[in-house]
Amino acid sequence: MKRKLILAGAVSLALAMSACGGSGGAASGGAKAGGTLNLAVSQSLKSWDLAEASMGNAEQYYEPVFDALLHMDAKGAPTANLATSWDYDASLTTLTLKLRTDVKFSDGTPLDAEAVKANLLHTKAGKGEAAALIKAISDVQVTNPSTVVVKLSTPTPSLLRSLANVPGMIASPKSLTSPQVPVGSGPYTLDAATTTAGTEYGFVANPNYWEKNSYPFEKVDIKTMSDPTARTNALLSGQLDGAGISPDRVDAAKAGGLKVDTVTPGVVEGLYIWDKKGAIVPALADVRVRQALNYAFDSASIVKIAKKGLGTPTTQHFTSDSEAFVPELDQTYKYDPAKAKALLAEAGYANGFDVVMPDISSLFPEMQAAMVEQLGNVGVRVKLDKIPFDQFMPSILAGKYAMSYFKTGGADPWIAIQLIVSKQATWNPFHYEDQHVTDLLSRISTSTGSAQVALYKELNTYLVQQAWDAPWDVVKDVYASSKNVQVTMHPFYQTPPLFNFKPASQ
Amino acid sequence: MAVFLIRRLLAGILLVILVASATYILLNYTGSDVARNIVGETATPEQALAKAAELGLDRPLGARYFDWLGTTLSGDLGKSWFNNVPVSTTLFNGLPVTLSIIFGALILSALVSVILGSLAAVRAGWFDKTVQASAVLADSIPGFLVALVLAMVVAVNLGWLPATGFVPFQRSAVEWLRSITLPSVALAFGATAATTLQLRGSMLDVLKLDYVRTLRSRGLSDRRIVFKHVLRNAAPPAVTVLSLQFIGLVGGAVIVEKVFGLRGIGSIATSAAVQGDAPVVLGVVIVMVLIVVVVNLIADLAYGWLNPKVRAE
Repeated sequence: MKRKLILAGAVSLALAMSACGGSGGAASGGAKAGGTLNLAVSQSLKSWDLAEASMGNAEQYYEPVFDALLHMDAKGAPTANLATSWDYDASLTTLTLKLRTDVKFSDGTPLDAEAVKANLLHTKAGKGEAAALIKAISDVQVTNPSTVVVKLSTPTPSLLRSLANVPGMIASPKSLTSPQVPVGSGPYTLDAATTTAGTEYGFVANPNYWEKNSYPFEKVDIKTMSDPTARTNALLSGQLDGAGISPDRVDAAKAGGLKVDTVTPGVVEGLYIWDKKGAIVPALADVRVRQALNYAFDSASIVKIAKKGLGTPTTQHFTSDSEAFVPELDQTYKYDPAKAKALLAEAGYANGFDVVMPDISSLFPEMQAAMVEQLGNVGVRVKLDKIPFDQFMPSILAGKYAMSYFKTGGADPWIAIQLIVSKQATWNPFHYEDQHVTDLLSRISTSTGSAQVALYKELNTYLVQQAWDAPWDVVKDVYASSKNVQVTMHPFYQTPPLFNFKPASQ
Repeated sequence: MAVFLIRRLLAGILLVILVASATYILLNYTGSDVARNIVGETATPEQALAKAAELGLDRPLGARYFDWLGTTLSGDLGKSWFNNVPVSTTLFNGLPVTLSIIFGALILSALVSVILGSLAAVRAGWFDKTVQASAVLADSIPGFLVALVLAMVVAVNLGWLPATGFVPFQRSAVEWLRSITLPSVALAFGATAATTLQLRGSMLDVLKLDYVRTLRSRGLSDRRIVFKHVLRNAAPPAVTVLSLQFIGLVGGAVIVEKVFGLRGIGSIATSAAVQGDAPVVLGVVIVMVLIVVVVNLIADLAYGWLNPKVRAE
């Protein structure tokens, strides 16, 4: 009798579990108007404090709760959002923003010029990636409740695009001193009942949001999922509606009926030449040597084999969405080992030279193999320095290596310049300066419109001629989404912004 | 017994302090630039330096160590350097995930190994050989492979159970069970094999003893002899193996949690260690050493319950 009871119990439990099985995945992922949008992000949320906020994949955490001053269209042109108009003065150091007057934070506080002032000054004083983009803000003045004047210490061409992302997001002033719980004026509010810090963040629609039509989902759930296999499985089983996946999962995702899009967030990878002064490797101070390094790489093969086609071969730091992009420049350094050797010989390095580079085989074995082999083919002898990967970036910043594999950049050309080109650029560890480049940067920062675009292109052309680095390709990230949603990629956001998600039925 | 318990507990606390202190010191020699990792690749060098100063990383190691020891002994594990969430909250969120799948795996492992181990020892012949061969095979298959196959076949293709995620028991008991089933099975795979073989071996030893023959001669049924007398005497070594398995399962949970997208202690420890998030790493170390101490204590007590001779000693 007892055995029969146990058996009956086990059968009931199994039936109950399998009954839920049919709906568990699909129900949670069944995105429809008024339903739940389930997303996953590979990066964990650092802080709800916008002053400490990260960019890239982490942007998606902030979008439900915080609204930004501006939005961007598909070409990166600023469009109205919390700010209805914006205007620079002639010196490009004073930006006047007119604000909507009908917006309130979810705690009831009105969103006005004082709130914008408090936020911009708070964020720019922080230590996060978002803060770094608006460091040039020197002061913010309130003219009236709907007008705010932003003063800049130096003209910053990327500012409007930054204000359309995390740096321009506005939190309730009351929450700035205690940002444990995010309070904004965005389309959703954080739902404590479905949130587990570090794991899953649930959001419910903000009933008072002023532009509900752009956000048709009643709930948004964002999970932190660092493992690409787990993200793919969750997408395939219907638990998620959208997430970034790794290139090796593209075929499985397509076979499982997922929509697969590529995103080009403006990141360029290749051989970065840090020591253009020639402090560690004197040869690198000679432009002919740097040009030889560009001719040494068969970028098309690297992309095809090591990157499974997920990249676009290039020779420049600026991508096709950038104002600085010059398509013809990609023809400058066609793979030509013989020409590379000739240039090295002309520079006095007929027997090549030795260089120490950080070992990246733990993450990119195929790319490292290709890089070392192709450099070796033209006489550049690479000695690999085996370091833990978490020491990779600090070692480069400390000026330990003359050159290395690297990837960085941004769709906005000014952001890319601040990362790679200017004397104080984060990734210019030897603070290399070229006077012609410095002059061009000065002229770019004080120009606008077509004049500025022409100067950007001039700078790009000069950088390629000078072989600033030896880029291989523009990185393409992969974003997979379920059939339940329509999602449009945006070149100026690393992951598609929330307002680009719609139910498939809409 | 009380003296034994107090002695073991004091030794356990000392062990926690020693291991955590060693971890603290080792973390300072990893050579990684934590402040840079926190502020990100696009932040300026000045921002990275300011973050390092804010975390106190510019102070001497000795001063930082004694500060940390003082606050930790007062019960404050600090906040994560990366997300500012209190370490106690992170552990409070992660422990139920890891403990659920580990205890799920242990219960599964104990049940299956008792059934298979006992039957193999009693029935012998082809059944015994099949159990032994299967156990060796199961033990040799890496846990992550089992986890990947289960996720792909049972969750993705058949859709019977969720592929990722954890549902707290208090939210829904059935969903909780569904969410831990596949990770627990993946984790139990290797542990079951080892415990089955251990139990089979000890049961064979006990079955040969004189008192079993005496019990048989007194007319007791085979089932009663096996489950009431033999199993109880053969169990202590298996309990030791299970307690050791528990510690092993904590390591195995790291991979299983990754495959099933679970934010348990294993994945928290891995990401914190990679990032250099010292407060979280130290919090995990302290909790895991405490758990190991407690599990060993429970195993000792279970040993005594199963074997009165141990209690007398």
